[in-house]
Amino acid sequence: MDVFELVKKAICKVEPGLDESKIVPAALLKEDLDLDSLDRVELALALEDELGLYLQDEEMGDIFTVGDIVALIESKLKVEKTS
Amino acid sequence: MAQVEKRRVVITGVGMVTPLGTDVDSNWSALCKGKSGIGPITRFDASSLRCQIAGEVKDFHARDFMDEKFVKRFDPFIQYAMAASVMALQDAEFRPGQYDPNRVGVVIGTACGTNSYFENAHRLVLQGKLNKVPPFFLLNDSGNMVSAVVAIRFGAKGPNHCPMEACAAGTSAIGIAFRLIQNGEADMVIAGGADAGVTPTCIASLDNLGALATRWNNEPEKASRPFDAKRDGFVTSEGSGVVVLEALDTALRRSAKIYGEVIGFARNCDAYHYTSPTPNGEGQAECIRLALRDAGIAPEDVDYINAHGTSTVLNDVAETKAIKKVFASHARKLAVSSNKSMTGHMWGGSGAVEVIFSLLTIRDGVIPPTINYETPDPECDLDYVPNKARRANVDIVVSNSFGFGGVNAVLVLKKLEGI
Repeated sequence: MDVFELVKKAICKVEPGLDESKIVPAALLKEDLDLDSLDRVELALALEDELGLYLQDEEMGDIFTVGDIVALIESKLKVEKTS
Repeated sequence: MAQVEKRRVVITGVGMVTPLGTDVDSNWSALCKGKSGIGPITRFDASSLRCQIAGEVKDFHARDFMDEKFVKRFDPFIQYAMAASVMALQDAEFRPGQYDPNRVGVVIGTACGTNSYFENAHRLVLQGKLNKVPPFFLLNDSGNMVSAVVAIRFGAKGPNHCPMEACAAGTSAIGIAFRLIQNGEADMVIAGGADAGVTPTCIASLDNLGALATRWNNEPEKASRPFDAKRDGFVTSEGSGVVVLEALDTALRRSAKIYGEVIGFARNCDAYHYTSPTPNGEGQAECIRLALRDAGIAPEDVDYINAHGTSTVLNDVAETKAIKKVFASHARKLAVSSNKSMTGHMWGGSGAVEVIFSLLTIRDGVIPPTINYETPDPECDLDYVPNKARRANVDIVVSNSFGFGGVNAVLVLKKLEGI
């Protein structure tokens, strides 16, 4: 599964009309993609829809870039696999 | 304390979204031609209901007025209000910096607020998908969000209200805005009303209540027929009207175009019944009297009444009685017409839209008709401007709105002269 593509798709869902080329791993959610705190809540829900994973508020709190989300999801998927 | 002189208040910008059109000009043109905005319900399957018609807003391009994210997040009633607000502020040629943001208020009323967003969210609850309920649900469900989002968009940091006063909400909102400026709490207020109630729950509830027109499913454009003997209920529609009110002195200072002056306002309650007006029209009559007194004018000064005129059996008789009580022999000389014969009943949106139409009546000297007036009702015996618009010089208009719960709101508008 390409987690980055899933995240990209979820961001597009939350922020319709966003120039997709801006969604790169280093992009800052707030400064570069204009996602405010409510958008982040919607993004977490959209990702949960896609992945069947539950992203906790405190986990989302440490997220600043697109790459951070990808890393968080990958680590959660790994934990799921091993447990 | 010394008596502070009340400031004069004018309307300098107008915007609307209704089943007749998504801008003021197309609405006014349709209204003067006597066109109906009523058609079959397309939003959901209404085939099991007695009333299968409504006034749906068509060809509304929300994205012309707000961004994609806003459209996704907010109920149509908020989208209509936002679009009408954008239009009204453009029309007023308002630019940030013309007023101290702390002196700019927003008062947008609604009868029911969010409906379709609620119904969609509740479907998820019934399906057990609690974790899928949109986080924005409660923001939509808080009626006041409609006034808040407009304030956020335009940086209006002054007083912010959302009167939930049923079908009087839009009229009441403009009246509250009038008072805020008159009493010096604000210099400019964006005010109006909005509702989007063409949803299964709303229409079914009103159908079961027996409030809707049920005999006209095959001729929807004939269903809303205020004051006609064959009327059998109102037709639900949806939309929003928003106006920009300003203190006369500050409006003149920025050379604003002025549609007319708000000179009187009153609200009261029948305290009689949930849905029926006082049968002798006394509650409504008292509200009109109070508004005339507030305006400092005599009944004989009024040229035209933009009626509440819902097309229900009870309203139209009670309103006629109320007009006769207040205006006595002058009631026969007055023109009275119902815009709802064409727009249908937009609930909280109607009062505000009707204020705008009243201002255009003053501006253009054209009284829009009451369409579908075919068979006189002996109990409704005034001049309802039947079926065809009429040219007339109109200086003073009384605009009536009466809502469920017995809430009444009346505004008095006047042509601005001698400035």
